[in-house]
Amino acid sequence: MKILTWKKVIIVSTLLSSLLILVILFSVTVGSVKVRPSRSITILLQSILGLKGGGTETEQAIILSLRFPRALLAGLVGAGLSVSGAIFQALLKNPLADPYILGVSSGAAVGAIVAILMGLSTLSLGLPLASFMGALLTILAVFYFGRQEGKIHPNTLLLAGVIIGSFLSALIMFFISVSQKEELHTIIFWLMGDFSFSNYQTIRIIFPYILLSFLFLYSRARQLNLILSGEENALQLGVNVENLRLISYLSASLLTAASVSVCGLIGFVGLIVPHSVRLIFGPDHRLLIPCSALVGASFLIASDTFARTLLAPIELPVGVITAAFGGPFFIYLLKTRKVVKTL
Amino acid sequence: MKMKPSRFFLILSLFISLWPSLSHSATLKFVDEVGRKVAVPFPPKKIVSLAPNITEVLFRLGLDREIVGVSIHCNFPEKARRKIQVGSYINLDFEKITFLKPDLVIATGTGNTRNMVERLEKLGFPTYVIFPKNFDGILQSIDHLGRVVNREKEAEAIIQEMKRRRQRVIERTLGLPRPKVFLQIGEFPIVTVGKGSFGDNLIDLAGGENIARNEKKMYPRLGKEEILKRSPEVILISSMNPKGDYQRLLQEWSRWKMIPAVRDGRIHMIDSDLIDRPSPRIIDGLEKIAKVLHPEEFKK
Amino acid sequence: MIEVQSISFRYHKAWVLQDISFQVGKGEFIGLIGPNGSGKTTLLKILYRLLSPQQGEILFDHVPLKRMGRTDIAKKVAVVAQETHLLFPFSVMEIVLTGRSPYLGHLMFEREKDLEIAKKAMEWTEILPFAERPIDELSGGERKRVFIARALAQEPEVILLDEPTANLDIHHQIDFLNLILTLNREKGLTIIMASHDMNIASEFCDRLLLLQKGKIYKIGIPEEVITQTNIEQVYGCEVWVDQHPVSGMPRISLLKKGVQ
Repeated sequence: MKILTWKKVIIVSTLLSSLLILVILFSVTVGSVKVRPSRSITILLQSILGLKGGGTETEQAIILSLRFPRALLAGLVGAGLSVSGAIFQALLKNPLADPYILGVSSGAAVGAIVAILMGLSTLSLGLPLASFMGALLTILAVFYFGRQEGKIHPNTLLLAGVIIGSFLSALIMFFISVSQKEELHTIIFWLMGDFSFSNYQTIRIIFPYILLSFLFLYSRARQLNLILSGEENALQLGVNVENLRLISYLSASLLTAASVSVCGLIGFVGLIVPHSVRLIFGPDHRLLIPCSALVGASFLIASDTFARTLLAPIELPVGVITAAFGGPFFIYLLKTRKVVKTL
Repeated sequence: MKMKPSRFFLILSLFISLWPSLSHSATLKFVDEVGRKVAVPFPPKKIVSLAPNITEVLFRLGLDREIVGVSIHCNFPEKARRKIQVGSYINLDFEKITFLKPDLVIATGTGNTRNMVERLEKLGFPTYVIFPKNFDGILQSIDHLGRVVNREKEAEAIIQEMKRRRQRVIERTLGLPRPKVFLQIGEFPIVTVGKGSFGDNLIDLAGGENIARNEKKMYPRLGKEEILKRSPEVILISSMNPKGDYQRLLQEWSRWKMIPAVRDGRIHMIDSDLIDRPSPRIIDGLEKIAKVLHPEEFKK
Repeated sequence: MIEVQSISFRYHKAWVLQDISFQVGKGEFIGLIGPNGSGKTTLLKILYRLLSPQQGEILFDHVPLKRMGRTDIAKKVAVVAQETHLLFPFSVMEIVLTGRSPYLGHLMFEREKDLEIAKKAMEWTEILPFAERPIDELSGGERKRVFIARALAQEPEVILLDEPTANLDIHHQIDFLNLILTLNREKGLTIIMASHDMNIASEFCDRLLLLQKGKIYKIGIPEEVITQTNIEQVYGCEVWVDQHPVSGMPRISLLKKGVQ
């Protein structure tokens, strides 16, 4: 009898982790400057093992200060956005949900734009911090307005999120219209999403948020399966639905906030990765959550690698690649398997 | 002979109505730098400038009272800041312009939009468009503007001085090794200057080699990997705030000591108005760049 | 085993249930009948604490319902209600296994024992052959059995049914009700069923509760509750009440207006 066991989860996770490692290695060996793949990998491994590295100073800088942190950050963000998307789809019982649907991303954008307009250095921590603040305030606002009779209700949450998101978008348009040429360029660049400024400091800061949120959500994976069948069903099976909704909403929002504040708005990942994973591995969250994280990480790292190498030395915005590759792939999945049977 | 009062008033009113056109001796037809035919009441007594480089040229030509409106970006000379502002590069307050009733509006192809110029035409304001693309282009624009505002002698003087100073730079840097230069505009993202931009032109004239000179885009975005690969010996940072950002930008670059420019401490800030604005001060920019690229030569 | 003491409930201003009191003995098969809006479904929801009454108390084996934890309630009471659309199709096995949820606590994965119980529940409801199939591929009748299997997997003492035969063809209705009856007789499960079909309630239930506008109109065995007068009072229409020719239980037949 086939049921999901922890053994199966471990096996699949290990396989996907191997894929992820391959993708990271690929990302580290490819770039606008030609470095021999064997050299790149050696430099990376030596650094991880704490050994003195080979290769020229330039090569070391390229691998360890540019490509590797970029891969790590893209992986973290890809995992964060994918898991967040999966959770919002369950929470709102809506297959069209993605991490940005409740306005968190707009809040992060407003925070970033205010920081840019105030002249905060774009390379300091001020910008991601301001962005994160904006996201947090939005999370609280949506939570406050999205409650009905003191309880979180999917439809009112959705409505509150969409309305607040629209309001924030209007605010963004306002800021754009009054900003000067130089600021405008920076703002638009931030909005498109970019990993070219990845560094270990940022990674160290957001890693705990992403890890904690992931662990929280995974511990509730079994109950998340239950709320998919409706509030009454879940309640009668002993699930504290209100509590679950609250924790899921806050954790998933935190994942989104952490991701967006360090790299801007990257679309598609949070929507198609969970769906694709579901089509292949099934809707059980005990498998869906770790698989979405691993597949999301690989997907975004690969997309970012293509974004910076396809038209070298020009760098494309990574959102272009996620849409260009993700879209057709998802349509292919749609045609060969069924996404949602009943809506 | 005593004139009847009614006749007196008739002659007076005739005189008054003809006065505006009498004070202009003519309307001269010009062809501007984008090929448009412009009929200018000559000499123009009320001029609006739509870009800072134009404003600088006009003031250098000796005009002041004649300049009745400038853009919000016009910050040089000091006097320009006190003029009435009529808009930005892309956004014009047409009401203000209508109120000012200029004889001549001057726009630049390097910033203002075609849409703006067409609207001004439709509203009946003669609009002259300059479009300087490099150092020589700037000299030409000064010459053209001199003719249009009736200051040909002053224009000629400016041009001669700029030519003279340029020649000096070329002579002094002739035969010197040409260092590889990276000119950074903007931080987020990092944008540099490619073929056809002023920055590229200046670096070349100053005896340097722009590492992005073969990029087809005028303002290409280079990834850090590329910059590392091309190992510039000098980094020039174009900034709106040269004094303020220096320490911070130095710190940012300090991580990349494998770049010769960082290792040797040859990172310099330059006021962006001097190198990105097609105005008479571009020669100041050129001289500054030359000094930075060839310090030993210019110490003497 | 269940004591309902003077409960009253309202959503907003109007009282939906007023001063309801009754008792249910262990192993009884109770039917809740009454017109739409009389409060049947609301009463069921209160019995598993989806809703809480503003007044009154419910006792389960002398323990007040409101003092019981959610998982404790889930271990005692299972619900087979109207089906909600499943967003993503799970398999029959997976759905029945969710019935073990109250016993898993913080555990992420089901144990061998849980698997065994689920299997037995599926055997009992004769859906074991469908175990691996996604639920949306099953017919209405088969789906209902899946949810009964899930309820059985909860190992409850009480099963609440809300309009269980709605939308079922008669052969499925008969199968289903016989299954419930067997559950009641062989396993001793207490059943409370809300139904708008009074003939079914009459056939299968031990006792009936007739509700009208939130109050109990009559409670007792079918013969006492389903009478011409009672039905005409509560429903405001004329019906014909006689005895089912085979079982002898009261049976209601519709009359066209003006015929008597």
